[in-house]
Amino acid sequence: MTKTYYEFFCPVKVIAGKAALEHIPYELNGLAAKRPMIITDKGVRAAGLLEPVITACEESGLDIISIYDDVPPDSSTTVVRDIAAIYRKEKCDSIIAIGGGSAIDTGKAVNILVSEGGTDIAKYTGAGVLKHPLKPFFVVPTTAGTGSEVTSVAVITDEAKGVKLPFSSSYLLPNAAIIDPRMTLTLPPHITAATAMDAMTHAVESFTCMAKNPLSDAYATAAIKKVSQSLLHVMDNPKDSHGRLELAQASTMAGIAFSNSMVGLVHSLGHATGAICHLPHGLCMSLYLPYVLEYNLETIREPLGELLLYLEGPEVYAATPASRRAEASISALRSLRDALYKRCQLPRTLKETGKVTEDQLDPIAEMALDDGSIMFNPKEVTLTDARAVLQRAWA
Amino acid sequence: MLAKRFQPMASHARRLYVELMFQVMGRALQAISEVDSEVQREARTLPQGFLFEMMVMPNGSKLIVEHIGEGRFHYHGGSAPRPMDVSIRFKHLAHAFLVMSFQEKTAVAFANDRMLVDGDVSYAMRMTRVLNRLESFILPRIIARRAVKEYPENLHLPEKLISAAQIYLKVATHFVQTARA
Repeated sequence: MTKTYYEFFCPVKVIAGKAALEHIPYELNGLAAKRPMIITDKGVRAAGLLEPVITACEESGLDIISIYDDVPPDSSTTVVRDIAAIYRKEKCDSIIAIGGGSAIDTGKAVNILVSEGGTDIAKYTGAGVLKHPLKPFFVVPTTAGTGSEVTSVAVITDEAKGVKLPFSSSYLLPNAAIIDPRMTLTLPPHITAATAMDAMTHAVESFTCMAKNPLSDAYATAAIKKVSQSLLHVMDNPKDSHGRLELAQASTMAGIAFSNSMVGLVHSLGHATGAICHLPHGLCMSLYLPYVLEYNLETIREPLGELLLYLEGPEVYAATPASRRAEASISALRSLRDALYKRCQLPRTLKETGKVTEDQLDPIAEMALDDGSIMFNPKEVTLTDARAVLQRAWA
Repeated sequence: MLAKRFQPMASHARRLYVELMFQVMGRALQAISEVDSEVQREARTLPQGFLFEMMVMPNGSKLIVEHIGEGRFHYHGGSAPRPMDVSIRFKHLAHAFLVMSFQEKTAVAFANDRMLVDGDVSYAMRMTRVLNRLESFILPRIIARRAVKEYPENLHLPEKLISAAQIYLKVATHFVQTARA
């Protein structure tokens, strides 16, 4: 069906490929930024991923004024306030977030405080609160999956109240996303697989859910093709920088796709499972994807069938009868998961995770129904439906 | 020329229609929370005193209801006693009209960026389910199918007719009481 109305927005400059990091000084200079602060986590620093960024800046005569490397996996309002205080004390004028989803979200939140003023980030929670552009903000992703470098949202935990604060504004989008294959070369196999399946899920849900549109479709299909062609190759050749770049680009493209067309039930279940069972997000995405596609099948038969071309290539697509392509797409995703299980034991069922008990399925189903992404699932989901999908995903 | 002359009238008519629909839906929300156990189950998890608003930006018609406890809603009309907990805001009168005249499903309107949600998204999802159930009850099946993503399979005619009659009776009573006051 033709989309009668849609919106698409992505003003992020994507700087991707060999020696991309070396473009940072030039790009900062173009925004009159001279005193950048790096926000990252201990894992990134320990993996030696800060050195190429610092060296790239120093070689162009640009000093990194301050480095905060203690962002926790679930960033909090206290961390954001502390980093903003250091930014102000050191008179920084720009932010470079280096890391995965948490470091990037923290960078976005810190940018709100240092641009808008104050120490209480909770004041800016919600949609459309920000009315002005923020300070220059660059993102260097070190995982290939979240797509946070091209999304206009951030989530920060308010420890005192025990709630997650969402922030949504187009001003949270970074000025530039720097995609350099050096930053993902050392990712361990398990994380490479889970994050790539996160990108795959962003793209598949973007292409099959209610807010799909022609522009997000183009990004989604390109992302699916890249993940399908490169993921297993990278798993077998982790030091292949071309393959790493392909996955990193797929992640960014899938991020652009889903931030303009939203996601559905896979994410609703994944968010709930993450909150209740503390499983990594990418793992949850990989786990639920085929079960949710089977649940949605009759509503999404046509777009899901189209995806076979990008999942398996033109020969398989041409040889598969149109009426069987949707099922063949699900089979392709299942085969990919089986191959990943063989290589790094990425769980395919809740039981295989070893971290979920059967009595947690009901609370997961109930929480999933209240997740915002369920609104965009093409099929109405009842509590009974959610429970049924979870039962199928159990073992 | 003629179209230009009629445009203000059409706009005024749409405004009146949306205002009327908000008034009916607000009262109907209060009514359904008094008769339907499923709506009461959904509403019970909302905090007591929780305020929900649907409105047309920037300062158009409003529908405000409060959860007064035990899964019951109270309709406040267009003015609120406190700041809202959750607000669903149509970006324009035309978008509210599309939804209120059942030309665009609520879920499609969300997908088309016609509305903004301000406040706790999980509560907004709960209220959307309540609104969907209300529409399934009070609208004829053929129209309800245009309003909700999926018409509930387990909603059969006798239950629908009895509940709809109760809701409409309560809405009419509330209108009369408001007019008398």
